[in-house]
Amino acid sequence: MTNITTEKLKTRFPDAVLGVESFKGETTVTLKADSLLETARFLRDDPDLQYNLLLDVYGMDRHRLGLSPRFAAQYELFSIPKNRRIRLNVPIAGPQAGNGALPKIDSVTGVWPTANWLERETYDLMGIEFAGHPWLHRIMMPRNWVGHPLRKDYPLGGEPVNFSFDKDNPRFAHLGKQIMAGPSFHSELAEEMDEEGHLIINMGPQHPATHGVLRLAVELDGERVVKIQPELGYLHSGFEKIGENRRYEQFIPYCDRLDYLAPMSNNLGYVMTVERLLDVDVPQQAQYARILLVELQRIASHLVWLGTHAMDVSGTIHALLMYAFNWREKILDIFEMVCGARMTTSYFCVGGLRWPLPGAFQDAVRHFLTGFYPDGINEFEGMITNNPIWKSRLQEVGYLSAEQAIALGVTGPMLRGSGLAFDLRKAQPYSGYDRFDFDVPTSDRGDSYGRYLVRMEEMRQSVRIVEQVLNKLKPGGPHKTSDRKVVLPPREEISTSMEALIHHFKLVTEGFKPPKGQVYGLIENPKGILGFGVVSDGSAVPHRLRMRWPSFVNLQATDTMARGGLLSDIVTIIGSIDIVLGEVDR
Amino acid sequence: MEPIITWLANLLANVSWWPWPAPPSAAIIIWVVYGLFIAFGIAPLAMIVLTWLERKIIARIQDRIGPNMAGPFGWLQAVADAIKMLTKEDTTPAGADRIPFNLGPGLIAVSAVLVFAVIPLAPGIIGSDLNIGIFYVVAVGSFGVLGTLMAGWSSNNKYALLGAFRAVAQLVSYEIPMAISLITVAVVAGSMSTLTIIHNQAVANGGWYIVAMPITFLVFFLAGMAETNRSPFDLLEADSEIVAGFHVEYSGMKYAMVMIGEYVHMLALAGLSATIFLGGWRGPFVEQLYNAVPILGGLLGLVYFLAKVLLFIFVMMWFRGTLPRFRIDQLLDFGWKFLTPLSLFNLLTSAFVVKLFQPAGTAGVALPAGPLAGFGGLGLTSALLISNLLVAFIASLAVRSLARRSRGNVLKAVAGVEG
Repeated sequence: MTNITTEKLKTRFPDAVLGVESFKGETTVTLKADSLLETARFLRDDPDLQYNLLLDVYGMDRHRLGLSPRFAAQYELFSIPKNRRIRLNVPIAGPQAGNGALPKIDSVTGVWPTANWLERETYDLMGIEFAGHPWLHRIMMPRNWVGHPLRKDYPLGGEPVNFSFDKDNPRFAHLGKQIMAGPSFHSELAEEMDEEGHLIINMGPQHPATHGVLRLAVELDGERVVKIQPELGYLHSGFEKIGENRRYEQFIPYCDRLDYLAPMSNNLGYVMTVERLLDVDVPQQAQYARILLVELQRIASHLVWLGTHAMDVSGTIHALLMYAFNWREKILDIFEMVCGARMTTSYFCVGGLRWPLPGAFQDAVRHFLTGFYPDGINEFEGMITNNPIWKSRLQEVGYLSAEQAIALGVTGPMLRGSGLAFDLRKAQPYSGYDRFDFDVPTSDRGDSYGRYLVRMEEMRQSVRIVEQVLNKLKPGGPHKTSDRKVVLPPREEISTSMEALIHHFKLVTEGFKPPKGQVYGLIENPKGILGFGVVSDGSAVPHRLRMRWPSFVNLQATDTMARGGLLSDIVTIIGSIDIVLGEVDR
Repeated sequence: MEPIITWLANLLANVSWWPWPAPPSAAIIIWVVYGLFIAFGIAPLAMIVLTWLERKIIARIQDRIGPNMAGPFGWLQAVADAIKMLTKEDTTPAGADRIPFNLGPGLIAVSAVLVFAVIPLAPGIIGSDLNIGIFYVVAVGSFGVLGTLMAGWSSNNKYALLGAFRAVAQLVSYEIPMAISLITVAVVAGSMSTLTIIHNQAVANGGWYIVAMPITFLVFFLAGMAETNRSPFDLLEADSEIVAGFHVEYSGMKYAMVMIGEYVHMLALAGLSATIFLGGWRGPFVEQLYNAVPILGGLLGLVYFLAKVLLFIFVMMWFRGTLPRFRIDQLLDFGWKFLTPLSLFNLLTSAFVVKLFQPAGTAGVALPAGPLAGFGGLGLTSALLISNLLVAFIASLAVRSLARRSRGNVLKAVAGVEG
């Protein structure tokens, strides 16, 4: 094997590397827990490696895999300059669950600042303690939660649901008094905030500009922002845990509900990861159709961003929102035509498309394109791109340099708005993106206006891709793989072939069973890099399903971007991050 | 006005069941009380009409239909909303300071209504022809700030407090360019009385002031927009930032009072702009008709006046539908660093021009005629227009050459240190 990363690691740290494993083109290096920080710094700083982007940190409970020690921390690294990936697997010897103490490992926040929230999440859900973390608190679950839900021994179901609005229940009698008499409830966030000298306000969970139930505790000096502490988890619904208790195929509809503005892209990310695990070949035409739909989805997602961003910044020009939704409506109509659903599409299945494309599909897309490009986009640009007020509200607001952006793990249009032309569709083409001609727009402004320009240009590029796909797309032909171990046989075959009937029975009752192994699939979502980590233990249910959602990681940059700005700038910054709380809280 | 009061006095003198002779002042008292009723009755009515209008106009801008269910063209929707507001629960937060909390909305609404006292609605119809009419407008307008501040401060809510901060900063600073542009008008008209100002805008006297003083008008209108708290200057209640600002805690009738204040303020600004810059009720045939049949002439004048007012109101709604909102520092920069110097400069040049064209002895003291007085009103108008355009040209040059000190450098420095 000639993997420079593992070679270098082995020569430099012969004792630290416990093993190297390669599976489906991904390399996993197992490291000793003590030498994690040293190795991490080496991986980041060595000129031949330069793993500058930490994509994900997650914990694994290997209880049922029969591995010892029970817990392991996983680090997904990406080297943007070298376009390489590697996974660090760090088993943590430590106290078992039950005796109170948590397994402990060094925090890598000093090496990659983006690890901050990711480690908090791992601590919260998996119960791994990170030594040296600046502020290790629960992030998804309530502060007083007991247990760590993603552990395999965490009880599922069977617990009574307590509704706190049940007035007759004496258990909650104290709550009413508490709510009425209590001070404004920012105290738990404000540990490091100056309550005496500064004004601390809660933006959210119910605030018009936070796009959902996001809460920002903002420390203000007059109107100037001193510090922001985002508080998440209001929408947390345990998607990872759900995924670990559903068959692979059954999780697809759940993807729609995470980033609900880009269901097609989410589906593609998940489906591609599972396909890689299974080694399924997807027919060419199905891949083209996927690209087309995902690019339409990107346009639709950016349209929602544009409308809501303009509405936040302006407060009163809902006009743009209405125009943007008007165009998005047409894209959703196309989705409806394709699969019957507008938002929760679940159209891609493992092995291809769930149904063939309808006959009028290409005409519908062409019809949309003729109206939307260039007139539709130019109309938006004409309204705001050169508007002096719009410019003055966006320019020099929320500045993020390329180095800061990478350190914070920011991806997608935000990273490109800081001047780095990094797009997975170009860097590591998937699903046949390399056959199409498109540019990666960047802006070296680094501010909200730069991100605005990047997203507007991205819509144009998406149109370009869609046009090219349309020319290659031919009606008819298979829309799914013919691998009967993965996709259901067609209806008519069941009544004629015994074998098809058996396949149908096995798939419906048991589902497909991928080989043992671990894959981590990446895809360029409208909001950034979406990652799905799947650990298979050979059964029809994933042993571990990890998701990296771009909004969650990008939101971490809020504090850096908003400090020193004004209260109004927070609104601009949240808008230009383009968050969807469904995927932030998942 | 005079004929109506005479008519009223005659009527009172001839009431058979009234045992004592009515004093002549009784007619005036009745007329004034009647006028007050009209003024305060117009306020809620104006809100109803204007909200409907605004919703329709904004809907058209946004590619929607707007209210269309209640009544023809949905105009009953506003009435329904008014009834809803009246019947809603009137809440007061537990921590609020009750007296200012309850007084605030009233002050806001009243300060807006009071401006109408000096706006001539039609020839012969004016609340009170004060000889300090314009000064009165500024004075009355500024105590609306007090109401906003009281409302924001007493709500005991952090967002309301931020709204109150902004109210003080914004309303106080925009009063200055507004007052200066009104002074410019007073200098040109030689009087602060609104009736005299309208009189001076007759074609023979030089025509509408908007033609003579476009820059003064722009400064006045923009500052007025900020004073009335309309988009893009609606920072006091910026809904996407500080939720609703100073009136976040209000509900029911008190909320309605705040809204009445806002819409009547808007109406007052439009009325003032129409009076001062578009000649008020002036229009073709009004004076001739008024001299022949006063009632018909008055009605025609009222129609002209309302048309001009609606024009301005439409412009304000149009702004609201299409412009993003300023940020507070940009707003203050715009007020202090652009509008105020511009209006001061404009005042100086206008005063100079007026001095040149002034006819002899108008203002109590014996004044010599200006050297160019012979050109009359039209000469003054064209000279003012030229001076205004000159000021605008110089201002645009100044804005271009003075590089705005970039806040972004500071931000980048902060980000660099923190990151």
